[in-house]
Amino acid sequence: MKMKKTLAFFLAATMTATLALEGCGSTADSGSKDSTSTSGESTESAGGAEEGIEYGKVIIFQSKTEIMDQLNKCAEDFTEETGIEVEVWETSGDSYFTDLKTDVSTGKGPTLFSLAPGSESVTMADYLEDLSDLSFADKIAENMADEVNGKMVGVPYTLEGFGLVYDKSLVDPATLNSTDALISFLEKAKADGINGLGLSQEDYFLIMHILNTPFALQNDPDAYLAQVLAGTVRMIDNEEFVEFAKVMEAIRANCTNPVDLTYDNNCGDFATGKTALIHQGNWAYGMFKDYEVEFEMGVAPLPIVGNNKVAVSVPAAWYVNTDASEEEKASAKAFLEWLYTSETGADYLMNQFGFIPVVEGMTSEKLDPLSQSVADAAAAGNTIGWSLSNWPAGISTALAPITAQFFTSDMTGEELVNQLNDAFVEAAK
Amino acid sequence: MKIKKGWYALFTMPLMLIFIIVVVIPFVIGIGYSFVTWDGFAKHQADFVGFSNYTKVFRDERFLRAALRTTIYTLFSVLSVNVLGLIFSLIVTTALKVRNFARTMLFVPYLIGGLILGYIWKSVFSEYFLSIGWGNWLTNATRAMIAMVVVTTWQMAGYVMIVYITGIMAIPDDVLEAAKVDGAGYFQTLFKIKFPLLMPSFTICLFLTLSNCFKVYDVNVALTGTGPNYQSEMFSLNIYNEIFDLSNFGYGQAKAIIFFMIIAVITLIQVSITKKREVAM
Repeated sequence: MKMKKTLAFFLAATMTATLALEGCGSTADSGSKDSTSTSGESTESAGGAEEGIEYGKVIIFQSKTEIMDQLNKCAEDFTEETGIEVEVWETSGDSYFTDLKTDVSTGKGPTLFSLAPGSESVTMADYLEDLSDLSFADKIAENMADEVNGKMVGVPYTLEGFGLVYDKSLVDPATLNSTDALISFLEKAKADGINGLGLSQEDYFLIMHILNTPFALQNDPDAYLAQVLAGTVRMIDNEEFVEFAKVMEAIRANCTNPVDLTYDNNCGDFATGKTALIHQGNWAYGMFKDYEVEFEMGVAPLPIVGNNKVAVSVPAAWYVNTDASEEEKASAKAFLEWLYTSETGADYLMNQFGFIPVVEGMTSEKLDPLSQSVADAAAAGNTIGWSLSNWPAGISTALAPITAQFFTSDMTGEELVNQLNDAFVEAAK
Repeated sequence: MKIKKGWYALFTMPLMLIFIIVVVIPFVIGIGYSFVTWDGFAKHQADFVGFSNYTKVFRDERFLRAALRTTIYTLFSVLSVNVLGLIFSLIVTTALKVRNFARTMLFVPYLIGGLILGYIWKSVFSEYFLSIGWGNWLTNATRAMIAMVVVTTWQMAGYVMIVYITGIMAIPDDVLEAAKVDGAGYFQTLFKIKFPLLMPSFTICLFLTLSNCFKVYDVNVALTGTGPNYQSEMFSLNIYNEIFDLSNFGYGQAKAIIFFMIIAVITLIQVSITKKREVAM
């Protein structure tokens, strides 16, 4: 009797253990793709599809998770209007590039995918189809289309900008016009019991974005980056980086420790008036929708060495997989044509995705305050670039641990800059 | 006899086939990759570099630190998991009224995946601890390590408990009764009768915990990540970062092969030692 009971219990235990193992298997594969397929029954052509061309199925895989729901609807509408079948693969965003790399390398990749223009698209140059024959190719705003080896391969999504997102009821951005002004504001904020400037623990929000400014402020950011990578110049010999180091020290001395803050907490504190400034971009507005935010906000420059420009660039662009079959490539191009030239497509881009127009003739009437602020800066030419898109791929995982150490020890700002510098040299090897 | 063999084959073949396809073949291919430098793109050239990936491993300070850290973590985790698991199993094999309920409850953490467990505990060790003024444990090297051991223990203790329970149940009642008649007390029975007879369970549990702790990945990723100055990075996470973040497929593979050999040697030694101490009934 006892024997039987033991056996039964052990059996049950093994079964549950197996279940647990299976559970692990599926969670470990965090980039797993739940595919939502919209099948096209009709085959009449309309909109982006042309007569006389064979169309295959488009598989879309892209990294902007915040537009996922709208993109699924968009794909359905596209299928309804053109009869071309579309499948959208989903991602949690974290391991997007790794997943894409694996899929594309094995030849079973998506037809249409997104990359950050810069080191990502350069690395994958062999896999990118020439898109210069798209009808709207020459209408894309200057320098916004991604060109690799002289070919136009990437169609930009939108513009994004980052800098100091301010709460006007707590700080007047016009007063923050120099490093010293920013530092004295942080000291005053500490005395008043609010958090002056919030960074958060995620790699990009901890160091990548804020370190972009001293790079982008150089006369020729690309040439300067090349010199840093080659080890012929040291960042610390440069005024912009010296002031950057001062700002980082002031953040450590006066603000909530960034390694203790998550993106959600940081945005939440800002929305509820506990934080005056956060180093964020216009994408963060989605977070504030959930709060009833009443104060006026906008994106201000990080004022090192008197900088008065916001960092604005294209965060992602569409690319077509050159290894896909001719039919599939034709469909992917038809999808881009439809998205950027048809009425329904443009409505999705501007109103559903909330994108800032990058193609001539497109306008958006209902931008959120942060995007409006970025669009205004772009229209006035008050922008610096995203040097970080050209940094060696994967460098964020080297820079973040160094910065986290800076925030949890008494390392000086100069040491921080030197260690970051070493990480750049190391990554370029 | 022949029929019996056929049955064995029928049940083991599918498993063997899966094992060969998903473990053996990739492993052999992986050995091949460890001799080249390659960034993971099929269209990009892989250059043969001989053993230089392997010699590089022993000069890689970040990797060696991760190795030492993993060893320390494993020592503490194996100890705490097994001690606690054994204590649990002794408690729930007594005449306790709630023993079935207790067994289930103690086993439940194992059913939650390591990633989810890691994220839950992350908010405990950082946000909750900050709110009660204990500071963020995950950004301090030593405390982050303690946090890792605590979470591992919480996850694995219930699992080894199950193995120990079956071991304890398998001890014949007559042996225990004889000991009682001879006047042995609780601890005498425990150390002189139960532990020697539990040796097979020790072999299994130590093997499982040793290899699992060395290979720890999910809890590491979710709970601490690499941490400031890579202070919380373990073996597996280091290899993952090398391959997928830094795109050094060949070098990462070389690390993985060395990692495999270390675990194989350590667990084989452990199994052979504990096997020797097993007693036949």
